[in-house]
Amino acid sequence: MCDTCGCPSPSDHSHDHDHSSGHSHSHSKTVDVHASLFAANDALARANREHFDEIGAVALNLISSPGSGKTTLLEHTIEALKGEINIGVIEGDIETERDAERIRAKGVPVIQLTTGGACHLDAAMTHKGFHRLQKEPGGEAIELLFIENVGNLVCPATFDLGEHERVVLVSVPEGPDKPAKYPKAFTSSHTFVITKTDLLPYFDFPVAEAMGDALQLNPKLRTMDLSSTTGNGMESWLNYLRELVKKMRAVKKA
Amino acid sequence: MHEISLVQGLFEQLKELAAANNATRIISVTMEIGPLCGVVVDSFQFGFDILSADDELVRGAKMIIQVPPVSYRCTNCSHVEITAGRKPDACPACGELLLIPDGGSDLLLRQVEME
Repeated sequence: MCDTCGCPSPSDHSHDHDHSSGHSHSHSKTVDVHASLFAANDALARANREHFDEIGAVALNLISSPGSGKTTLLEHTIEALKGEINIGVIEGDIETERDAERIRAKGVPVIQLTTGGACHLDAAMTHKGFHRLQKEPGGEAIELLFIENVGNLVCPATFDLGEHERVVLVSVPEGPDKPAKYPKAFTSSHTFVITKTDLLPYFDFPVAEAMGDALQLNPKLRTMDLSSTTGNGMESWLNYLRELVKKMRAVKKA
Repeated sequence: MHEISLVQGLFEQLKELAAANNATRIISVTMEIGPLCGVVVDSFQFGFDILSADDELVRGAKMIIQVPPVSYRCTNCSHVEITAGRKPDACPACGELLLIPDGGSDLLLRQVEME
């Protein structure tokens, strides 16, 4: 209906009505919508999550700045959990297959998503990527899926991919003020990992302060700190992953 | 930068709405941008401006932006501070640092005027 005089829309304007109200009738109309722009992505993300649940795969979305050590952490995680948990990886980058090649060398199924400029992955890319991943050798039995997002602490925080847990990583050389500067990455995450702690002697990075800042934003955040190269702190990270997979296995059996 | 892809998603919705209402031109679009939704108002406006210039349906359309308030509940004294501005550093009543936000995390297309 026309919002000015209540007449039917222009397409249905054959009736004879009185325009004595005197307003200029431009046949414009106003429609109330109330639709979330995130709705399309969120619906696909829910479908992804249901699919992961169905096949018994725990999905983790890793977000951080470029160069925080996500891929290195994955390399060491794959080594440590070999023969224990079937891992699959979706690598998100703007360009190149480099990260996928590093993961492939560790002998687990991996596919590379290149966004060609986009600063984040979304649920649709994840959906397509996972179906490609399932066709890779070993891809049919994945129990733990890592989705390594494009290196960026801003945009990925807004897009649900259908993950079960979101992990935000900050490396020691980046400095401790990331939680304060990029709050959404921390308020939307489940777990906060400080990486490259072997470099703590060379940088001014008060670990407790950074964790405190993050916990102030999100009191439910799980926090840990580790070094992939020395192995310090890796055990709590690996136990966190083991626990998630154990829970998923129990649900799948039931 | 993700604002641009969100504007592209908005244009898809506008196309569908226009088709459903036999409209050929969008006159104005009312958006509600929550302060905690991760979208920068200026970047969203910029994306809207440059993309609408290339879009027959949306060219010349005006965007009206509403910013809804967020309620921050103090975890210590339960005081509720309501603001559409930036997050308070601490509870204005007791100084507690842990405040739990409610609302303001969505990006909504509220209303479309078209002809």
